[in-house]
Amino acid sequence: MKKKNGLRKYIPKPDRREVFTIILLITEIIIFSIVSPYFLSFNNLETVLRNSTDLAVVSIGMTMVMVLGGIDISIGSSLGVVAILVGWMLQAAIHPILVVFVAIISGVLIGTLNGLLVTKARIPAIIATLGTSNILRAMIFGMLGGRWLTGLPRVFGLFTKGHILGIPIPVFLLTIFYFSFWLFLTYTPVGRHIYAVGNSAEATKLSGVNTDRTMILAFALLGSLVGFSALIYVGRLASVEITVGIDLPMAAIAASVIGGTSVKGGKGSVIGTLAGVLFIAIMKNGIVLLGIPSLWERAVVGLLIIVSVLVDLVVGIRLEKKQREQLSKQRMQVSKYFVVERN
Amino acid sequence: MVNNFVRLLSNRVIFLVLLLIVVTIIMSIISPYFFDWGNFITMTRFGAVLVLVGLGQSLIILGGGAGIDLSVGSMISLSGVLFGIFVGLGINEWVAALMTVFFGGLLGSINGVTIALWNLPPLIGTLGTMYAYAALALVITNGVPLSGFSEGFSFLANGKVLGLPTQIILIVIPVFLILLFIMERTNFGRWIYLAGVNEEAAQFSGIQVKRVRFILYAISGILAGFSAVIFSSWFMASRPDVGNGMEMKAITVAVLGGIDIFGGVGNLVGTMLSVAIVTMIASGLQLANINTIWQLAVLGFILLGSIALNQLFVKNQLKL
Repeated sequence: MKKKNGLRKYIPKPDRREVFTIILLITEIIIFSIVSPYFLSFNNLETVLRNSTDLAVVSIGMTMVMVLGGIDISIGSSLGVVAILVGWMLQAAIHPILVVFVAIISGVLIGTLNGLLVTKARIPAIIATLGTSNILRAMIFGMLGGRWLTGLPRVFGLFTKGHILGIPIPVFLLTIFYFSFWLFLTYTPVGRHIYAVGNSAEATKLSGVNTDRTMILAFALLGSLVGFSALIYVGRLASVEITVGIDLPMAAIAASVIGGTSVKGGKGSVIGTLAGVLFIAIMKNGIVLLGIPSLWERAVVGLLIIVSVLVDLVVGIRLEKKQREQLSKQRMQVSKYFVVERN
Repeated sequence: MVNNFVRLLSNRVIFLVLLLIVVTIIMSIISPYFFDWGNFITMTRFGAVLVLVGLGQSLIILGGGAGIDLSVGSMISLSGVLFGIFVGLGINEWVAALMTVFFGGLLGSINGVTIALWNLPPLIGTLGTMYAYAALALVITNGVPLSGFSEGFSFLANGKVLGLPTQIILIVIPVFLILLFIMERTNFGRWIYLAGVNEEAAQFSGIQVKRVRFILYAISGILAGFSAVIFSSWFMASRPDVGNGMEMKAITVAVLGGIDIFGGVGNLVGTMLSVAIVTMIASGLQLANINTIWQLAVLGFILLGSIALNQLFVKNQLKL
């Protein structure tokens, strides 16, 4: 057996919360496939996946920032700004690789700005990103000038509509993204620092970690993911409208939370988040397949957020109680033993 | 000298009054029509709903425990829709308005139950109800506005009493004074601050923190109910999406007004001043024919700037 090094001791096992979300997801799939025969068809599943690729990519970053104890509600607006930039560059027929580069860089810049506001100006994340969100939203209006960008060349349509060996590209995309971020968060020191900062920023700082740099890095990474999602978004819709990304922050928060990320920081994983994203996406799809008016969609998602967190809370309290009971039982036995000895 | 100035500015109310004066000067330079009585009247109309939701948000944030209410906008939409339905059933508008306010309180209480009693994180609890209420409003109306209110009802949001807009005289000022009285002169107000400053200490000194927070969420709902009635009278229709985006405005106003996002610090006068600043900017830009979209950007900059400045003062105070 290999010797355990210092880092490995802190690698978490799959959390109860992740397992819970995955079970929810499986139950959901089973129910929908019984109710609607169309649900499990390849076409339908591909549509579900295609429509949630950008959300899935952004949610990784959101989970990371929430694990840090932060939050970012500006991602919708920043996705919009980057998407418009991408649209302009596509209209100017700039080489796609350069477009990808610019998109990711501009995403990183916005993310870094948020990170600086949170760390250097010491503004609470929710307020800082609310501010940048307002500013970026105004920029979207200014850049679009009241007109939509439509009929953009489908250069990046490949990301959502392409196939390799008959398997849709989103499958590869999500596998690569989620796996690499899972590795990053679980096995690299910086990844572990993110969890440490979320659990106790002060203790982490005292143990010699540059917490500010960790935070800025997390926001910048979220920015890069947002930049990449903007490419996916433009590729999928071939247009950018004024309300671009307006639902995105809340959807990403919902996915992370359903997947077990704690709003208080320190807890959560990208695997849970992936399950959360798929859970919401499949729920939306199932609602349509069942013939329920799509207006109900958000009501169901809203209820799910509350119920999933609530169930988790209840289960958590139960488990804690059981542990405490066991502990006190052990103590009782120990004290009995001592009493017997003395007699 | 410099230190004294910093100390003066670090008093939030004084800072906001100065900011208000600066904004007024800038706006009157941009637009010559700004200093017009008629314009001031219109401005207060804009501000009415913002005051109500801003106060509700301030109370919840003050109560601590990471309190926040993302569902205000959706509560406005849903109770507005209910108002439309009540009127459609032939109930008198004013009775329906009272029922709507009560219903708003009920929606807020649901938040109170999940958050204060069941310990759900506020961000999650109200995010859930934000989705749920907004969707219900759309489902009930199928997305179509309800209308058909009698002419007399428009008096509430478009009429005047004593030369001032009705909603200001009859709703906003009384609500503000009552809440201010509660916060500054009653035990309950002190409990709110204590719960926000140190939850544990409050608990140990016999304050029912859960009950206090529950009541705060209910108050936010009641204020949303009032807002819904004002909106319905203003547009003479109940639009199912009328409250969209209201939650962000409410948070912005509360935070700009000096309410500490971690609870326990700030006062309602600050919120009122920040509403005044925000509405002045809005109407000033409108008069100057600048697209209202830029309000958002200006608001964002003011928000970031004022908080950053505030943090700087706090840091300096620690050094002094």
